[in-house]
Amino acid sequence: MDDIPGKITGNDCVTGAYRRLTVGLTRPLGRVSPGQFVMVKVPDRDIFLRRPFSIYDSRGRALTIMYRVVGRGTDALSAAVRGTPLMVLGPLGRGFTPGKGNTPIVVAGGIGYAGVRMLLKRLGDRATLFFGVTGKDELRLADDLKDTRVLASTMDGSSGFAGDVVSLLGRYLDDYRGKRPEVFACGPSGMVKSLKALLEPGRIPCQVSVEERMACGMGLCFGCVVATRDEANPYKRVCKEGPVFSLWDLSL
Amino acid sequence: MGSLAVNLFGKKLKNPVMNASGTLGYGVEVEPLWAVETMGAYVTKGLSAAPHHGNPTPRVWEERCGMLNSIGLQNVGVHRFFSHYFPFFVERRCPVIVNFFGFSEEEYLSCARSIEPHDLVVALEMNLSCPNIKKGGIGFGKEASTVHAIVRSVREVTKIPLIAKLTPEVKNIVEIARAAYEGGADGLTLINTMPAAVVDVKERRVSLKGGFSGPLLKPVALRAVHECSQAVPIPIIGVGGTATFVDPFAMPKIIAELGSWLDASGLADISAIVGAAHG
Repeated sequence: MDDIPGKITGNDCVTGAYRRLTVGLTRPLGRVSPGQFVMVKVPDRDIFLRRPFSIYDSRGRALTIMYRVVGRGTDALSAAVRGTPLMVLGPLGRGFTPGKGNTPIVVAGGIGYAGVRMLLKRLGDRATLFFGVTGKDELRLADDLKDTRVLASTMDGSSGFAGDVVSLLGRYLDDYRGKRPEVFACGPSGMVKSLKALLEPGRIPCQVSVEERMACGMGLCFGCVVATRDEANPYKRVCKEGPVFSLWDLSL
Repeated sequence: MGSLAVNLFGKKLKNPVMNASGTLGYGVEVEPLWAVETMGAYVTKGLSAAPHHGNPTPRVWEERCGMLNSIGLQNVGVHRFFSHYFPFFVERRCPVIVNFFGFSEEEYLSCARSIEPHDLVVALEMNLSCPNIKKGGIGFGKEASTVHAIVRSVREVTKIPLIAKLTPEVKNIVEIARAAYEGGADGLTLINTMPAAVVDVKERRVSLKGGFSGPLLKPVALRAVHECSQAVPIPIIGVGGTATFVDPFAMPKIIAELGSWLDASGLADISAIVGAAHG
């Protein structure tokens, strides 16, 4: 595995601080499983650690990621114009593994959509997306989903269900009884915690994509761990053993 | 092409380049990137007598001139390292320097005692930056008398060459180096990370306290190497400010560049410049 050089072919605002970056790579990423990520060397001399991003789309040598500007790295990335060279390392980590014959429920909060988008494309019309955002403008993030049923919630009530996405899912959960539901989730830690509370009674299978600050992205530094219920060895590496974990293995 | 080979404690290493402890996992993670035996020796993550869980996150933080880490010495324990990971290095014929630590003298001794001499084990590297829980958490590496005592105790329980890895957070590192040497250390590793903090101005709190590494550390390490080399007659391994943490691919590049530099300088043997700047 080695860095793949590429050039930015697009870096556009979707809405607010959310942006979509497309990169033309000199060689394909290869086989990507939904939920995997790449480490991007942001084209800025002052940013030296690579930054992790979920793979939003990968076709041949075209890579797409969606990101939200939250700190120095993403801020610098947002300033990079078309034609700027950058380096991409990946695909990395372990992605989602949907069980055969299960009915997929996908839950995303905000930029968490970027973490489940490839999975949604793979599942097509078999999946329902429960998508939670703060206000209706952010629903634009999922505009490109054609085949999937989307149930939206907004915290400000500007569109869809008024409230958080887990409460929205709670209203529909009974519909899945006897259909072997399986949940796939990516979003802020508050969302994951309430998801756990909601799913606890039936212990519905649930895979969560976890986010953490990373340094190497390859399991070398043990910087990006998440606490699990494994008492002998609680801290697992998000980049190596994850980023996708069973919700029931996590210690939340 | 000139030779990059060096001799360390009677063992021949193919070059003098190694990773800093903790920056290359258990070594096996390097496998998809490059061959671990490209390095003169692999330095293990810090190992302890019993497994150690490490710290909660955040554990890493980038700053403008380097990074902080606060991994908290997470490791599987020395026994598991040797049963599970060491065979990989045997298969690759890759020399290993075993970094280890403890929070009490007993823990250091128990760990050192459990490591058997092996053709590929070049040395044990004692991390002296740990807090001594029996002395109110003051670091073992802070006082010359403590360094002398702990190095001497460990020296007595192992036949394997012993390296003391020193913290820069001391009044006079030369005194500490001398204490380690007089306690029986066969070599020194200089230096460990510097204590640092990141403050979240918006939330008005400290986001992370940890060890600082990165480009800024290099001249600090070089000064420690230079001054200690005047005071003790044992090998010194310099650490800090090179690029592994930043770039997982740096190691083979550094080794190749070192070879080119040697040739361009018209030197036949890298050993010829060891200590050359220190008079």
